Amino acid sequence: MAELDFERGLERLFAEAPSFPDAEAFANRVEGCLARGWNMRSWLIGAAGVAGGVIGASQLILSNFVNRVEDASEGSSKLIQAGIAQVKPGFDLLTLVQSDWAVVWVASGLAVIAMGFVLTKVIEEI
Amino acid sequence: MSGSQQLRLASLHDVELAALAATGDRSSFGELVRRHGSGVRGLLRRMGAPAAEADDVAQDAFLAAFEGIAEFRGEGAFAGWVKRIAARQYLRRLQREKRLASLALEAEEAGQDQAVQSEAAGRIDLDEALKTLGAPERLCVTMCYGAGLSHGEAAEALNLPLGTVKSHVKRGLEKLRTRLAPADGASLEGSRANG
Repeated sequence: MAELDFERGLERLFAEAPSFPDAEAFANRVEGCLARGWNMRSWLIGAAGVAGGVIGASQLILSNFVNRVEDASEGSSKLIQAGIAQVKPGFDLLTLVQSDWAVVWVASGLAVIAMGFVLTKVIEEI
Repeated sequence: MSGSQQLRLASLHDVELAALAATGDRSSFGELVRRHGSGVRGLLRRMGAPAAEADDVAQDAFLAAFEGIAEFRGEGAFAGWVKRIAARQYLRRLQREKRLASLALEAEEAGQDQAVQSEAAGRIDLDEALKTLGAPERLCVTMCYGAGLSHGEAAEALNLPLGTVKSHVKRGLEKLRTRLAPADGASLEGSRANG
């Protein structure tokens, strides 16, 4: 019993934290390390996201994505045109769509950004 | 960090702070470091680490604790959890630098002369009493009673047979009992309040 009391007393003595005059400075130092580590991680994740976006974009371009979009938009434009022609004869939608290829590039750019964002979030979660 | 935020964090329990830290809230973890930093640094010094090394290991232990904060489920005290991380990190460092083996061989009588003075002063001082222990005894006792490791866990961490750890703990406790036992027979806790 006395042995047990002594051991409990010893545990209590160990549990009493000594006071250090630089306790606050120590805590600030640890927080500073955490902030630096966090910033570096954010940069790495961002860089990985951008790299993923660029790879995704290059894959889209190399896989003839633009031509496929062109074909698809042409096909759907013809369908819409046919529908509109029944309702309002004389209105030419096809020339309106084909005239502005910048729309396709803007859409591709937005897709790349979205892909980069999604990749960044996925890496962050992992 | 604003004063109101600091006050808010100071009012939270360790488990709540750990839960916030698990979401990436660094200021919550900073509050945990403020609360338990001295305890962890003290433990490492009691294990025999020099002051500067103890602070380095304590810092690394807190960074490791932040990385693994999701593993802390609040079943035990946060202080105990982070102390166990720190104790293991210190041992790993000793092993890496091949200092653990030399500690185990160190003469157990080391430091006994220093103890006489504190005993003569008639006050109970754990840190002084620990200096009377040999390095292996000091490590084993501090790991078991300071970091809360079982004998088996300590044996595994120290890479020593369980029987050896038990012997070190037993001898260490005997020495501490002699040093810490107050002359007037008062309890350890009661006398601590005076010291």
